[in-house]
Amino acid sequence: MACLVRSWIPLLFLQSFLVAIAFGSNEGEEFSEELLLKPLPDRKVLAHFHFENRAPPSNSHGRNHHLFPKAISQLVQKFRVKEMELSFTQGRWNHEHWGGFDPLSSMNAKPVGVELWAVFDVPQSQVDISWKNLTHALSGLFCASINFLESSTSYAAPTWGFGTNSDKLRYGSLPREAVCTENLTPWLKLLPCRDKDGISALMNRPSVYRGFYHSQRLHLSTVESGQEGLGSGIVLEQTLTVVIQPETTSVETNMQPSWSLSSLFGRKVVGSCVLAKSSNVYLQLEGRLGHESKNVDTEIEAHKLWMNSDFDLSLKPDRVIRESSSLLFIFDIDKSSDSEPFDLGLTWKLPSKWSCEQAPLHASRFLMGSGNERGAIAILLKATESQEKLSGRNLTTDGRCTIKANIFQIFPWYIKVYYHTLQIFVDQQQKTDSEVLKKINVSPSTDKVSSGMLEMMLELPCEVKSAAISIEYDKGFLHIDEYPPDANQGFDIPSALISFPSHHASLDFQEELSKSPLLSSFKEKSLVRSYTEVLLVPLTTPDFSMPYNVITITCTIFALYFGSLLNVLRRRIGEEERFLKSQAGKKRGGLKQLLSRLTAKIRGRPIEAPSSESPAAESSFLSSKLIFKIILVAGAAAAWQYFSTDK
Amino acid sequence: MKFLILVMLLCYSFAFSSGDTTIHTNNWAVLVCTSRFWFNYRHMANTLSLYRTVKRLGIPDERIILMLADDMACNARNEYPAQVFNNENHKLNLYGDNVEVDYRGYEVTVENFLRVLTGRHENAVPRSKRLLSDEGSHILLYMTGHGGDEFLKFQDAEELQSHDLADAVKQMKEKRRFKELMIMVDTCQAATLFNQLQSPGVLAIGSSLKGENSYSHHLDSDVGVSVVDRFTYYTLAFFERLNIYDNASLNSLFRSYDPKLLMSTAYYRTDLYQPHLAEVPVTNFFGSVMETIHTDSVYKAFSSKTSNNKINSEMPVNQLSEHDELQKANIPNDELKTEKQKCPYTQMRVDLHEKLEKFENVDTVVNLGIAVMVFVVMISSSLL
Repeated sequence: MACLVRSWIPLLFLQSFLVAIAFGSNEGEEFSEELLLKPLPDRKVLAHFHFENRAPPSNSHGRNHHLFPKAISQLVQKFRVKEMELSFTQGRWNHEHWGGFDPLSSMNAKPVGVELWAVFDVPQSQVDISWKNLTHALSGLFCASINFLESSTSYAAPTWGFGTNSDKLRYGSLPREAVCTENLTPWLKLLPCRDKDGISALMNRPSVYRGFYHSQRLHLSTVESGQEGLGSGIVLEQTLTVVIQPETTSVETNMQPSWSLSSLFGRKVVGSCVLAKSSNVYLQLEGRLGHESKNVDTEIEAHKLWMNSDFDLSLKPDRVIRESSSLLFIFDIDKSSDSEPFDLGLTWKLPSKWSCEQAPLHASRFLMGSGNERGAIAILLKATESQEKLSGRNLTTDGRCTIKANIFQIFPWYIKVYYHTLQIFVDQQQKTDSEVLKKINVSPSTDKVSSGMLEMMLELPCEVKSAAISIEYDKGFLHIDEYPPDANQGFDIPSALISFPSHHASLDFQEELSKSPLLSSFKEKSLVRSYTEVLLVPLTTPDFSMPYNVITITCTIFALYFGSLLNVLRRRIGEEERFLKSQAGKKRGGLKQLLSRLTAKIRGRPIEAPSSESPAAESSFLSSKLIFKIILVAGAAAAWQYFSTDK
Repeated sequence: MKFLILVMLLCYSFAFSSGDTTIHTNNWAVLVCTSRFWFNYRHMANTLSLYRTVKRLGIPDERIILMLADDMACNARNEYPAQVFNNENHKLNLYGDNVEVDYRGYEVTVENFLRVLTGRHENAVPRSKRLLSDEGSHILLYMTGHGGDEFLKFQDAEELQSHDLADAVKQMKEKRRFKELMIMVDTCQAATLFNQLQSPGVLAIGSSLKGENSYSHHLDSDVGVSVVDRFTYYTLAFFERLNIYDNASLNSLFRSYDPKLLMSTAYYRTDLYQPHLAEVPVTNFFGSVMETIHTDSVYKAFSSKTSNNKINSEMPVNQLSEHDELQKANIPNDELKTEKQKCPYTQMRVDLHEKLEKFENVDTVVNLGIAVMVFVVMISSSLL
């Protein structure tokens, strides 16, 4: 009996396992689409599209995809990607006016061009190979030259400066990469409704790319299921952040421009994507406006919120949520239809002004020095207004108030940085390393092999007004084949990343909003970070026509020299006259004479009488024929011998 | 045994030589804009116009390799972001919503171009960046940029020479990567680029003869630069009148070029191309028109031979070579027999193998054969 029970147990396990799989697949994939609109203090409007696609854990063999893009799940499976982020950006995020201390800016303010980082779930030795294959796969998927990141001179392996601590992390960026329709189209094709229906239908290419800033981001992370036998689930987050200037007709300069979705994008939303679990549009109003009204309890108060003396909304919000410093209107677009499209508009009645929360320090970077030989890079951190509010949070053990700032920077190999020249100035006074520099990690570059990387952790006093870091470098020389076709334009140094490890941004909603992935991601604490400008370094570019000039000049000189020298050496002055005389003496047939001269030239002998010449040639020809015959027969005999003895 | 190997080699060569009788399976297009910098806007517009045309005529995106050397659509100088026009009336946005650029920017190099043609890529290169044509493919290769006597400039930094192009095409032919290839080049002195071509099945059209320039068609004062080249403009004018079902011949395309309008003389090299141009529809290269086969009975697996036969008979007369007709005559309609029938080479090999199996003293036969050969050699040498 015991034996019987023992054999049953595994079967029971198997059964429960199968049931788990069945339920797991029933749970299904989830897709949600959201749009956040936010008027910005400098008369622009921010539109943040957020699409989230979740694939639940299932067994890794034979996953069925309904909504989740197959291309992405194959990518994750093949290269064992644990977490990955790819962004395509043009324009620079204005930290002062568009915000620097909210989750939106810390997650979506990206460096110009393409930025890619990925964490792999493979043995340490295979990480670089996986990275290389991943870059190629992504370049095919997104129509961009991401494959340039495969070479070891263009990526780095940050240890702690990037914010994600993993030894299997690789980071690379391409500042020069163009971002255009061909990148957005494959990105949209990953969505279940593409750009045909729902919120994504708003993405009219010319209006998106006319904006001041557009950043298209794809973030994927795997979620371990914890169950054995089940693979990991994938969360794919796709965002597009656009900053657009609405067209205004009003002449008043201090008046905020009024806008509507159709005036921003030239399109309206006609119904939600039917495959989406939730389709919401949010309107966030920041600053003074948020504080004005305290109670949202009664219907009249709510009405006052969206139709008051300051501004009008064209549609009634479904819900209103208050945050510590802002108001959030929620609209559900399920109700819109072809006959009644969703076209949210905001009309300002009175001039209003507000400001955004800013990061503790504002970072900028610039080049110093002149000439084509050497220079210096400086990173300047300036205190912002919001610093007073934030300070006091980070008290060290000895009671000092400090701000921690991480700096992560990649240098291409042709920027040969001298790390010993690192200087740190706090409030224009030079400080020694031990005073402010808490941690530093340097990996020097190797010519044409790997790029250099600098990670620094600064600990600055809270009352700091400005801090500057400078480092000197020499400009390297490239091989003539390594120059790009537009070398005269200069070379880019990728953006530096400044992050504040002890500051975290989050929006503090009073209500529970587990339904919305966008708002719940805002609720989570995210690291405050900002990217600096891309630097353009002019390198010495050769005169590309120089090799050609050198070749032509040398050839001319050689030809002149050897031509005249040979002429002098070989010419016999008396010869020509004698030849002419002899020709006048002998009168032979033209063709025969020509032939004899030709044979004489070939043989290098003086002209002989034709009669004496021919028999000798005949005999030598005969003898060669004879030798050939003998060799042939001997060969045949040898072959015969070989094959007969082979047995 | 050595004799057998010889026979096998002969058989192989027979099989290879019969390669060009394969039927047309699919269409590919490689469209290359080799010029960088904003003032070369027209070259990108040329390429994108062709891209739009071949897409409209049925070649899907995955069978188009589009190489653009610079970004004009989202260029900071472009007054119309994410839009490219080839006419000053701005009626048609060539960039549309669905462009897939396979190679762009610094990736457009002579090396990558030759790699695409010859198919010699690194392992990691994704499928969308490869020309995965086969021996039944018709390929359109369109190139535009700045050229000269027997060369075409890439990105103002490199050159593709006529020898390179000819070598690549030769390699493609040997690797059986195409059945027919049409090269269309819109550059100055385009005709000189075809001088070294030798491979059969190649048709070439150039916008200008040696010593002639290819001119742009008109300037768009809103965009600020010339937007299209003359040769491409008139090619498009021809294609805009067509739809996928039209049967216009290559000859009518070639005749449509007027040297007065082009301000250069279009050049056609047809000596490597067998079929008669008047009978080849333009959609053979610029579109993808699939033959539909009507069957009365239900579809059966393994009856590919008979369906092949049907495709051939429905195709235009010019595509039927003599070999095809012979094959057609040989294939009986009875399905059982068709299944049994194998390719002549395998049949021959099987027969030979069977005979040799029956033979017991193979070695003596071989030795005797060699002895006979020795005699033959001796006789021939004494005759010399």
